[in-house]
Amino acid sequence: MSPETTGVIHDLGYQRYDGGRLGRMQIVRTLYWYSLRAAFGLGRGARAKILPVGLFALMCAPAVVEAVIVARGGTRAVPYDTYVFPLRVVVMTIFVAAQAPELVSKDRRCRVLPLYFARPLHRGDYPLAKFAALTVACLAMIDVPLVLLYAGTISSLHSGSAIWGETRALLPGLLIGALWSVTLTVVGLAIASFSGRRAYTTGAIAVFFFLSWSLAQFLVTVGGRGPVTQPTLAGLVSPFTILDGVRLWLGGTATGPLPAVGRYGPAYGLSLLVLLVVPALVLAARYRKEDAA
Amino acid sequence: MAIDPHGTAPPGPVIETTALTKRYPGDVTALDGLTVSVAPGITGLVGANGAGKSTLIKILMGLLPPTKGQARVLGLDCQRAGERVRSLVGYMPEHDCLPPDVTATEFVTHMGRMSGLPAVAARERAAEALRHVGLHEERYRQIGTYSTGMKQRVKLAQALAGDPRLLLLDEPTNGLDPAGRGAMLELIARIGAEFGISVVVASHLLGEIERICDHLAAIEAGRLLRSDTISSITRASQVLLVEVADGTARLADELGRQGLDPRPAGRGLLVPIAGDGTCDVIRDAVAGLGLSLARLEQRRHRVEELFRADEDAECPPAAVSASGGRHVA
Amino acid sequence: MTGIELRGVSRWYGNVVAVNDITMTVGPGVTGLLGPNGAGKSTLLHMVAGFLQPSRGQVTLGGEPAWRNPGLYRKAGIVTERESAYPFLTGREFVRAAACLHELADPVAATRRAIGLVDMVGPMDRRIATYSKGMRQRIRVAAALVHDPEVLLLDEPFNGMDPRQRLHMMDLLGRLGGQGRTILFSSHILEEVEQLSGTIQVMVAGRLAASGDFRAIRRLMTSRPHVFLVRSGDDRRLGAALIGRPAVSGVELTRGGLQVSASDYGAFAAEIARLTRDEGIRLRELLPADESLESVFSYLVSS
Repeated sequence: MSPETTGVIHDLGYQRYDGGRLGRMQIVRTLYWYSLRAAFGLGRGARAKILPVGLFALMCAPAVVEAVIVARGGTRAVPYDTYVFPLRVVVMTIFVAAQAPELVSKDRRCRVLPLYFARPLHRGDYPLAKFAALTVACLAMIDVPLVLLYAGTISSLHSGSAIWGETRALLPGLLIGALWSVTLTVVGLAIASFSGRRAYTTGAIAVFFFLSWSLAQFLVTVGGRGPVTQPTLAGLVSPFTILDGVRLWLGGTATGPLPAVGRYGPAYGLSLLVLLVVPALVLAARYRKEDAA
Repeated sequence: MAIDPHGTAPPGPVIETTALTKRYPGDVTALDGLTVSVAPGITGLVGANGAGKSTLIKILMGLLPPTKGQARVLGLDCQRAGERVRSLVGYMPEHDCLPPDVTATEFVTHMGRMSGLPAVAARERAAEALRHVGLHEERYRQIGTYSTGMKQRVKLAQALAGDPRLLLLDEPTNGLDPAGRGAMLELIARIGAEFGISVVVASHLLGEIERICDHLAAIEAGRLLRSDTISSITRASQVLLVEVADGTARLADELGRQGLDPRPAGRGLLVPIAGDGTCDVIRDAVAGLGLSLARLEQRRHRVEELFRADEDAECPPAAVSASGGRHVA
Repeated sequence: MTGIELRGVSRWYGNVVAVNDITMTVGPGVTGLLGPNGAGKSTLLHMVAGFLQPSRGQVTLGGEPAWRNPGLYRKAGIVTERESAYPFLTGREFVRAAACLHELADPVAATRRAIGLVDMVGPMDRRIATYSKGMRQRIRVAAALVHDPEVLLLDEPFNGMDPRQRLHMMDLLGRLGGQGRTILFSSHILEEVEQLSGTIQVMVAGRLAASGDFRAIRRLMTSRPHVFLVRSGDDRRLGAALIGRPAVSGVELTRGGLQVSASDYGAFAAEIARLTRDEGIRLRELLPADESLESVFSYLVSS
């Protein structure tokens, strides 16, 4: 029979889904990727990318400059473990203040959380995925410039031992970067989870980080009377200086805002622990309430 | 007994609660010993006030533990198998819940992936779900630009994308104008009838429920008021309504003479059915008097009557339960 | 003389004409203001309530202008669409505040009466924050009724109410309308508008599409045949007999019965009883299928 005399009506009705379904952890991973992309404005249009990419470029600038200097035979001034400390503070504060609300306050504002909770996830999965995403984003912001710095430096080195020396110096820097990422993320997300209004949460995060940092700087210079050389507890007022204190305690060089940490090392260690645990608990609690749904 | 999600619809009830009670701090009772069984098909959930309804939905989805009692959805215990229940149920909330800066396609795909669908399947099912709910080129625009009707459709699409066995729709026609409501109701009726998915529609609008639902569960003060099929609730009564353009009084007289008992009602007469021939008597009377017949209708009962019937017996809103707490009225 | 009158009223925002040259009169009784989303109903109600100045034309309530006329609020009670009631007040306090703002002679009695009208006596001493949406709506209606206004304007008054609350509110509005007050309310729930009163004002895209009793409006649509569903003892034979009549333009046998399109409504209604009697066909039901408010509304909006 020739095709012109027969006809078929295809079934466009509703189809069931018979394929496999992903497990809970895989769903969390999907949410993690989705949030990580959102942290850099990917998949959101050009406007959303300006700030994160701009900040990233800013963070990388010293690494590029140093690489050029080293290539010309100069000596490196920027260490791996503190990098350019004030630049880090400013860039990371702005980054977390802008992106933590992007990840978390936005969802609360448009009330999409009930749709997440209506899915085969546990209550803690949502904050967990957001935490992982923002931590990795911060990690990229902090550690990638370090890697660039490293690459720029070793390209001008020729002896294996020098390269090995650089590598040994890089690794603690990466670790410190990881510590920064986890801390800033958990604090930033905890603050951001309190409100759906991004203006408020961005402001709250920025104010918290900047004010505490300014206060720490002020105290560390003893009210402007000159930099302190003794170990001091003054650094406990700001997350940035707490991190620096822990870095010193773990054997870092005195290239950061704090001169030394001495016997106060454990105090800084404990403070960091509190700074990690309390916001984490707050974050978990903010999504456990039934009212979130 | 759990069901196999890839099998055919199980014969048992899709929702089953036993003496389900939920008390909140502050002595507020949202559910008070609710025992109800919801059969497959389209069921209207009516009457429950805000707190009772949202509490029930959260318990059914395994998001809230009851104070007492049990709830099962699709044969699974909501408390113990909450995650599995959520993977089989599609939920459409009453309130706005869509982000304004993504397109419908992106959003429904993302939600499909959040339901456990792999990336490719999520994209395909999202496209299909959006087609079924009637969103075409609009799906590539940002949700912030949508009208209320389109937003409601997106909400429905995200519930459908995960291939649910049961849809929980909370006031799906909220905010829609009459045309939008008609379209949404038609869509829901089609889903229930053709897609093989059981649907529970929570609504305050009794007319809607009568229109598309097969069953009804009416909840009041945290308890079951009535659970029945719509066809039995709207069964025919033994009364005929006659409306004529003019001459109602003359018709009434004539029918009275014929041994019927007409009573005036609105624009016409209510005539109790005395037997098979009552409609013939009416027809002949109208014809004999040369009147214009506008309507002849065997009255049916209405869902509304459930709420009028015990109006006198209803306790005032501040009723005190046995425990001394307040009912959320 | 408590009607609402609009004469040549328009309201625009830049290039957007929200209300386009509307002339309408709303008399005593209950009138429904209907229209698709974006038709301009809220804008119109705001102008009638004196919240918004017309770009052109005049709005009067009981002969008085609506705009810049605080005295108007002695005669009118308004319930807006957005929920606005202070959550920290109790229901009673909220209504009492309204009574005091109206400078009533006996605010306590007026409060008690208004709250009784909306059946909120039980929870009246609880804070509004604890109320459900329907309860908040009712207390706002009480606040609008506390000064016994002649005119009541309501924007989607049944929003959020459960069936019992709805029935109660419909009874209340029906009673108030029966007392001669002028009640204008906008709603999307046509079955309720139909039950409350058949009088409607329909807006489409800023213009007034139709006014009056919807059944009369339907009769005016002579180009659309009236559709009836007929159940009889012998549908097919009746169908054959009907198609021979000039008043009938179409007949269709469906599972639910015989669907008849009558191009001449009056003639069809006049002869159906006689025809069935003469043919010896039992006439069980004759149901107008497109005379409901829902049908009339959809015809108005689509034409």
